[in-house]
Amino acid sequence: MSAAGRTGAGWWMLILPAFLLLVVFYIAPIAQVLTISVTEPELGLGNYERLFTSSAVQRVIETTLRICLITTVLALLLGYGIAYAITLARPRAQGWWILAVLVPLWISVLVRAFAWVTLLRRQGLVNNTLLGAGVIDEPLPLVWNEFGIIVGMVHYMVPFAVLPMLASMREIDPRLLAAARGLGASRGEVFRRVFLPLSLPGVIAAGVLVFIFSLGFYITPAILGGGKTLMVAEWISLQILDLIRWGLGTMMATMLVAAILVTLLVFSRIVDLRRIFGAGA
Amino acid sequence: MDGIYSPGAASRSLAWATAFYLVLPILIVVPVALTDQRYLSLPQDGISFRHFATVLSSPEWLGSIWQSFTIAVAATILSVTAGTLCAIGCWRISRRATELVRVMMLLPLIIPSIVYAIGLYRYFGPLGLLDRFLGVVIAHGVTGIPYVVITVSTALAAFDPRLEQAARGMGASLSQTLRWVILPRIAPGIFSGAIFAFIHSWDELVMVLFIASRDVFTLPRRIWDGINENLDPAMAAVAVLLILFTLLLLLADRALRRRNEG
Amino acid sequence: MSAAAGHALGLRGLTKRYGDFIAVNDVSLEIGQGEFVTLLGPSGSGKTTILMAIAGFVAPSEGAVLLDGRDITPLPPEKRNFGMVFQGYALFPHMTVAENVAFPLRVRGMSKADRDAKVRAALDLVQLAQFAGRLPKQLSGGQQQRVALARALVFDPSLLLLDEPLSALDKKLRAELQEELKALHRRVGRTFINVTHDQEEALSMSDRIAILNHGRLVQAGAPGELYERPRTRFVADFLGKSNFLEGTVRQPAPGGFMLEAGASRLAVAHGQGAALPPGTRSLLSLRPEKIALLAEGETAENQVEGRILSWSYLGAGFALRIATPDLGELRAVLPAWKSPVAPAEDLPVRLGWSADAAVPVEEDAA
Repeated sequence: MSAAGRTGAGWWMLILPAFLLLVVFYIAPIAQVLTISVTEPELGLGNYERLFTSSAVQRVIETTLRICLITTVLALLLGYGIAYAITLARPRAQGWWILAVLVPLWISVLVRAFAWVTLLRRQGLVNNTLLGAGVIDEPLPLVWNEFGIIVGMVHYMVPFAVLPMLASMREIDPRLLAAARGLGASRGEVFRRVFLPLSLPGVIAAGVLVFIFSLGFYITPAILGGGKTLMVAEWISLQILDLIRWGLGTMMATMLVAAILVTLLVFSRIVDLRRIFGAGA
Repeated sequence: MDGIYSPGAASRSLAWATAFYLVLPILIVVPVALTDQRYLSLPQDGISFRHFATVLSSPEWLGSIWQSFTIAVAATILSVTAGTLCAIGCWRISRRATELVRVMMLLPLIIPSIVYAIGLYRYFGPLGLLDRFLGVVIAHGVTGIPYVVITVSTALAAFDPRLEQAARGMGASLSQTLRWVILPRIAPGIFSGAIFAFIHSWDELVMVLFIASRDVFTLPRRIWDGINENLDPAMAAVAVLLILFTLLLLLADRALRRRNEG
Repeated sequence: MSAAAGHALGLRGLTKRYGDFIAVNDVSLEIGQGEFVTLLGPSGSGKTTILMAIAGFVAPSEGAVLLDGRDITPLPPEKRNFGMVFQGYALFPHMTVAENVAFPLRVRGMSKADRDAKVRAALDLVQLAQFAGRLPKQLSGGQQQRVALARALVFDPSLLLLDEPLSALDKKLRAELQEELKALHRRVGRTFINVTHDQEEALSMSDRIAILNHGRLVQAGAPGELYERPRTRFVADFLGKSNFLEGTVRQPAPGGFMLEAGASRLAVAHGQGAALPPGTRSLLSLRPEKIALLAEGETAENQVEGRILSWSYLGAGFALRIATPDLGELRAVLPAWKSPVAPAEDLPVRLGWSADAAVPVEEDAA
């Protein structure tokens, strides 16, 4: 029963504070970023020309895309395994598995990056252990490079990959799997022909989520990349804070937002975005 | 799905490996924080709490913790108030326009904080909000709204709209309906949203890097400097304290939800 | 619960459109003081929309709602002072029974002492005083329904609106609560407006029934009147079951005519003044229970030969499907003791009914 016409102004007033806050303190600053990208240092698309002319700009984009794709694939793979285990686990065990996914999700990204540095640096626990055991003769370069970034990012992204996949796996009727086995399919066949296709919407949603989160990721790459491997977010920060090149920084920020929105737009045709962002979308 | 169909050995070991990968690196900071050495390492001759003592007696660390806490509380109040009212309004009106408003409320989750941070850096300058308590509260409060909108919308989805009609039909005004009927029913959702908004502000670093410098020096900011400048066991102690604090909040959330479902 | 006189409600040309869809189409209806009126129709007939418009939850596209002659169309629901029992009851799950019933008083700023007295009286009225401290989920469906009634009546509303009040209950309980609701109506003397899709409920409880179809008011009247004198095919079909006989009007006279259907000629005494022009097509509604099986030598004003196609035993009687040469298939329901023969398939029978048993009805506009 729609009560159109009876929904007085009162209800709209409830929306107003959040709407104003968002417009004045969120949309406006971001709109300003987009504006600066075409007005500084001078009016025009000069900053965007750099996309085609500057090899430094191209290198950053290339690095970012490469790291994001690798991260997405690995996070999906690991996330799928854990979501699959959760779905098939007994209710009591499910609680523990979910805890193993959710607790890392809410622990500060700084703490996690710090933990990885502790583990992976030259005199870190991994290298020391391996040296002590005589497996290696000199420390492995595990961090402050692309490897370190990917280890940290995948670690950050796995929980985000698990949640949408888990949601779609839980919609699968378990009797279908039993039925398939009853009809003579092997365990592998049941997975390939029944479970995997049915869970695919969740996999796509998870992939989109992880990819767009990875694109603009700042803290983990900055700490674990050690300033040598630059991804766009850190590069933007460098342009603004250290080089004071607002035009270039905002241009890259605009491209970042555009890339994310285009990704969402393309995939919204394939999967329901609600899958990605929960019930609120 | 218990019992009907169980996973094979390969997928089981992948899941276990992933779980270890997710949890162990975080746990490693605990022994490191308890080391008796002066540098980052595992305890050698025994455990020691002196790095915790260092942190808890340092005015810098305590100052940052307090600052982060007050900012997070203020930002949470902002997010919860705006987000809850907005979610209720959108739920009740439920038109195309409100669907758009809801999508708009999710923008802070979608757009990377680096983009917002550089925007704020320019935007706050003329407003005199750079390096101010209020500036950080606004930034964190606005970006915390999506968490509240999502949890409250989820709670409202389970709320029978006829209860609201019933209240109005019996003569309750909008504010009476809100206070006596809607809010008590969705309180668990609001509380979850508050916890997530709090954690969001408490952990937030990217914006702070741009809009705060000396007067506002939050805990994440101090940790960031610590990681980049001097990696010492005190950092591990801070990390352990943070982990404990987060776990405490999540347990509170869980307990409250259990109580409401039971 | 004073026996204050009820209020009169009027609907004037009420229309509600949702885009191109017309949910309610030009409905006018007068509901008198203290009357128990039921809006009856299939789902999608617009009955609930009308109730919601009366309650103020739906703003009409056109037309007006009048209370004692005063236009209340622009008033929001909380200003109308109508009691309402919602489908599924809409009891507040976080409040006890007493708190639920006290809610309308609380929003009116009544003092706690006055509130308590009124709540007790209202709970007594529905015999639930001992459940005051329980939560709704601890009550049975029938008890919840009665809490909803107490809550809707406690603030002396001008009208009581009931939206499918019994639909969530099982059949037996439903019959019981129909009685109770009727008794309650008599006791409180208020105007009740009920919405249902259940024709039995409508027939047993209401002073008057308004039948709706596709958003239009098809016919309104006392239950007996509607059942005996349906105006259209839809009313005859929806309220009870009916056979429909089609034929041509012959020998029209005031109050009756002969209907020619194939080789049969049927006497019709409709008792209405104007004569139908001869040669027009006419449709008759004939209730199955008005058809008798004629014994050897027995006669009736109308007699038709036929064969039993199938039959079923209902306990109290038989339901028969009978094939006739001119009137097609007829359904008859007759008490077992009145049947002159034991029914059997293919058995030839003679059917009979009186001239005033069949009623001319109109075809419904599409």
